[in-house]
Amino acid sequence: MRKRRAFAALLVASGLAIAACGGGDGGGTTGEESGGKSASSDGIVDGGTLHILDVSEGATNLDPQRIYTGADLGFLGSTIQRTLTSYKYAAGVEGSELVADLATDTGTASNDAKTWEFTLRDGVTFEDGSPIECKDIRYGVSRTWASDVTGDEGPLFALSFIDAPEDYPGPFTATEEQQAGFNEAIECSEDGKTITFNLRESVGDFNFTVALLAFGPVPEDQDTGDQYTLKPVSSGPFKIESYEQGKELVMVRNENWNKDSDPIREPHLDKIVWHFGLDETVIDERMIADEGDDQAAIVYGGIQPQNLQTIFGDDKFKDRRTDGFDGFVSYTMVNMKTVNCAEIRRAIWLALDRDALRTAGGGPFTGEYAKGFINPRLGADYEEADLPEGLNEDGTPNVEAAQAEMDKAKANPDCADAYKRATETGLTRDHADSELWQKLIAIWIDSMDKIGIKIIDNPIEPSKYYATINETPGDLMSAGWAADWNNASTVIPPLFIKDGGFAYNYTWEDPEYDAFKALVDEAKVETDREKQGDMWKELNQWLVDRVWNIPGLYTKTQNIVGSRVRNAYQWYQFGWYNVGAIGLTE
Amino acid sequence: MIYFVIRRLLFAVVLLFVVSFFTYVLFTALPTNPAALTCGKNCTPEVIARNEVRLGYDQPIHVQYGRFLKGIFAGRTYGPEGASVHCPAPALGYSFEYHECVTDLITRTFPVTLSVAIGAFVLWMGIGVGLGTLAALRRGRWQDRFATTFSVVGISLPTFFFALLAILVIVIWGGLLDFPQYTGFTENPIKWFSGLLLPWATLAILSASTYVRLTRNGILEVMNEEFVRLGLAKGVKRRTLIIKYVMRAAMVPIVTIAGLDFAALLGGAVITESVFNLPGMGKLSIRAVTDSDLPVLVATTLVAAVLIVVANAVVDILYGFLDPRVREKV
Amino acid sequence: MSTPLISIRDLHVSFHTQDGVVKAVDGVSFDVMPGETLGIVGESGSGKSVTANAIMRLNFGTQVDVSGEIIMNGKNLLEVDDDELRTLRGRQMAMVFQDPLTALNPFYTVGNQIAEAYLIHHPKATKSEVREIVLNAMVKVGIPEPTKRMDSYPHEFSGGMRQRIVIAIALVNNPQLLIADEPTTALDVTVQAQILELIGTLQEEYGSAVMLITHDLGVIAETADRVMVMYAGHAVELANVDELFETPTHPYTVGLLGSVHSLDDSSRGALQTISGTPPSLINLPTGCAFHPRCRFELGENSLCRTEAPQLHAVGKSRSACHLPESQLLQIGAKGGV
Repeated sequence: MRKRRAFAALLVASGLAIAACGGGDGGGTTGEESGGKSASSDGIVDGGTLHILDVSEGATNLDPQRIYTGADLGFLGSTIQRTLTSYKYAAGVEGSELVADLATDTGTASNDAKTWEFTLRDGVTFEDGSPIECKDIRYGVSRTWASDVTGDEGPLFALSFIDAPEDYPGPFTATEEQQAGFNEAIECSEDGKTITFNLRESVGDFNFTVALLAFGPVPEDQDTGDQYTLKPVSSGPFKIESYEQGKELVMVRNENWNKDSDPIREPHLDKIVWHFGLDETVIDERMIADEGDDQAAIVYGGIQPQNLQTIFGDDKFKDRRTDGFDGFVSYTMVNMKTVNCAEIRRAIWLALDRDALRTAGGGPFTGEYAKGFINPRLGADYEEADLPEGLNEDGTPNVEAAQAEMDKAKANPDCADAYKRATETGLTRDHADSELWQKLIAIWIDSMDKIGIKIIDNPIEPSKYYATINETPGDLMSAGWAADWNNASTVIPPLFIKDGGFAYNYTWEDPEYDAFKALVDEAKVETDREKQGDMWKELNQWLVDRVWNIPGLYTKTQNIVGSRVRNAYQWYQFGWYNVGAIGLTE
Repeated sequence: MIYFVIRRLLFAVVLLFVVSFFTYVLFTALPTNPAALTCGKNCTPEVIARNEVRLGYDQPIHVQYGRFLKGIFAGRTYGPEGASVHCPAPALGYSFEYHECVTDLITRTFPVTLSVAIGAFVLWMGIGVGLGTLAALRRGRWQDRFATTFSVVGISLPTFFFALLAILVIVIWGGLLDFPQYTGFTENPIKWFSGLLLPWATLAILSASTYVRLTRNGILEVMNEEFVRLGLAKGVKRRTLIIKYVMRAAMVPIVTIAGLDFAALLGGAVITESVFNLPGMGKLSIRAVTDSDLPVLVATTLVAAVLIVVANAVVDILYGFLDPRVREKV
Repeated sequence: MSTPLISIRDLHVSFHTQDGVVKAVDGVSFDVMPGETLGIVGESGSGKSVTANAIMRLNFGTQVDVSGEIIMNGKNLLEVDDDELRTLRGRQMAMVFQDPLTALNPFYTVGNQIAEAYLIHHPKATKSEVREIVLNAMVKVGIPEPTKRMDSYPHEFSGGMRQRIVIAIALVNNPQLLIADEPTTALDVTVQAQILELIGTLQEEYGSAVMLITHDLGVIAETADRVMVMYAGHAVELANVDELFETPTHPYTVGLLGSVHSLDDSSRGALQTISGTPPSLINLPTGCAFHPRCRFELGENSLCRTEAPQLHAVGKSRSACHLPESQLLQIGAKGGV
């Protein structure tokens, strides 16, 4: 699972994005805007200072083993933290192409993709000039296991791939024996140039896994434990000069970064200043005014809903604004144990006033009605699924069709318990508590009432939302997901396979689960990418037909940059700019 | 007098212990599990339980408080063995949100708040007392009416509204000042000054309104005092009379109120710091609230409480120095 | 008769309040002779204190109109500029206030305050000189252990002692005129006598004239040479003290005397009071301000109701009453028939 930063995650959890559930979309896409001139490299002059305006009081994390939010992965990966593999510096789908970074190539798999080997480039160094060796990467990855120091904030799923001792507690408290066991799972060659990962299972795209910053190098002798996240040691073209939470973080060029050892990064800037703790209203006003330093500024986070009309209603912002998918799909998770009846699940989808939900959440700018669980961004794996008959494309409810499904459910003896629960006991609707959700829940109750389903509102404290539904899932639960990389292997398995990480809704209770899982397992190991894509498309259709979850929106995000900013394209993989590529005009 | 000072200080120390205990207990007794905040979203109950033991949250509250106190005097080590972090005395805790010792956070944010407070204080006392005096001396004339209007308008403007308006008009539209940003005084005094101008003005307008009224009414009251007329009858010059007789008497209550207001401001001007993006104690505490960052919350509350207690003691003692009548009685 | 020390002519003092214009003093004229004690007596609100303050021009901080003439040493005090006024205040004329508890500045030592009074008018005096003067002044007003007490603050003294300090401040520059505004009203009876005695003694020693303002006829009888009786901003009678008590020549004075329980003159017998209440100074009755309360009032359409009476000679005194002289000389003598 790729999470968002705290404020964005809150947005997802609070339902802004998850609000509207549905699939049909008659009008096609409302048109993305990719940023016009600001996304091009026209007129870039090397040098200058880029300003990043941010509402937050500080970076969520700078410790590579703790970073696991899309924007930060791209931002910090392009500036200070190199990894074995990375993504191409390019706009559009091209930007999701895996390329070699610290490694000489994108890795070699052997032993049925259970062993992966990477060779380090010559001349790769940390910011102090010392060489990056295999042991630094091994040490870095090992920190992900140290939940008491790195706080379990990293991509834990990746840990299960590696054949480390079951009880490995991370490098800080490991016994010699445990550490030796770990060092066997990740082997270093004598010369420190080659790193070999021994996996527990076949992972065909493990070379994408190592592009996660959690697989970035950390020099052991400079590790400051919990405080490493304040000043990590850079391996990229920039380094952290100063960082004061609540105020600013300043990055300057890393003199020991060597272009010859890094074929992908092309830094233009001298300096990046990340300003924290700004008022969101003030940020928008400054960006609209575009004065002084703000001409060289980008915004971490989106545009305030009330300013969208100003910015997208006036062509003078044409070359500074972006409007596009952020890679997330929002949906309503349905508990397969308690609502074990496809007819009822479909009835809910049909009867739901998705139009009202989206309008309450902010209208078309919030996103488009999703047609499945795979985001359009996953080009090779994406295809519009066939939606249930009668589902209105404009998002309005179809009570008649829904009632027909309910009648079918009533007649179906297998649905007896679920029908009783839905119409008599009531279904709990779990969501993170927010002002918006007080409106949304009313729409839900109203919609369901029309087909005789009772809804029990269950607001949950936002910061504990996911932990709560993990432990005690309700009947209907809001959620959102984005792929870890450009493969639905990071979407379908975690969302629907038991122990996948984000399947909180007992999918394995469905009688057809085993058949489904067999298909998934087959797709996972398929090495022909095109064929694999077709398999994901089929599985997506299967899921839409069975309505294991109810699709919501392909959520969108809007942003604006200063008039001197160039190369501010949305980096496909991360849902934000490729900050390391940004340059400024004179 | 010396006994008075000693007694007052002793009382303050006792009060501090009481305040610190209740602050600690109050926040620790909150329903949020402090250990849950030390790990991220993937937190499992086992990890939380482990952290609970590690951080000592499984201990009875008096033991926790005892450790907290001990940390203040002797320093404390946080985090797991092998990757622990030591905070030297006075250790007020370790923030797993900031990854810093809380004492460091406070010593870093306090100068910001102090800068905000001092400037605002000078400005508001200047405007408040100046305008109030003018209004009293020109009672009933346009100066008086201006001061009264200022006072009413200033007091009814919400801080955040005035702050945003000031930013919009002066910075964004007018381009007269750079966007307010905190620069250390030692770093660049001119930037320090220009960056804090708007925050000072925002805070000063509100408080000055109160002090205009306080000063005006205080002076008018003192002017009717017999001793002022005696001064006049002695042949004292008008300026001497106003300073030595009127202001001297009128300022005593104002100074004491101002002392407490100043201390409250030192606890952090939450709204002003947030709107103007000043990394001070106010912002630190508000972030601690939203993040449920308990150690920071306890520490900032405690520091604010300490400031108030100290200010109270200082004001009481000061009052003794300022007014000979009080000095004798105590 | 020698030249007056100070001559007040047609003094008007009015205050502007929210309710209207208060005519606190409405055309008062009198002289104070060098060395004499002039008593000014009247009920509260009769304008006696306002008259005293007007002479010192102590209308600081209030909106007030003062007109007429206050001539001292050939100068009209109402016309001199602030600088000159300051040289007169405290130097040629000084004032003792009613309440010694509030009259001293609580923030400075009494020594400091006495010294200040001297220094204002003797700016070149050396420290030791001033100290000598202060100690002397304190000795003269009868403060024990002056060297020790000069560094004390006002609140450390009793009311009587404080009034002595106020007197010390007033007399430290040897003024020609001392205005004492109810100097004993706030004090214990025993202390009252001491203070009056002190004022008397010092007056003799310095040769100052004293304007003693009081509502207490007993005080007047003991200390004054001449007496001016005031009612509603007007002087209604001006007489030597003996004449006033023997033969009051104004119905108001008669009533006032009647309201004093007098032990030494049984002929006046029972306590009499003046019926009615003092008039509002914003809306004074037409004609004689006293006529609504006057037992001898001449009736409708009489002068009493249409014309304000002026002070004129009645016997040895001067009275402002429309009644015929013969009748006026009788009302007092007969104790108010």
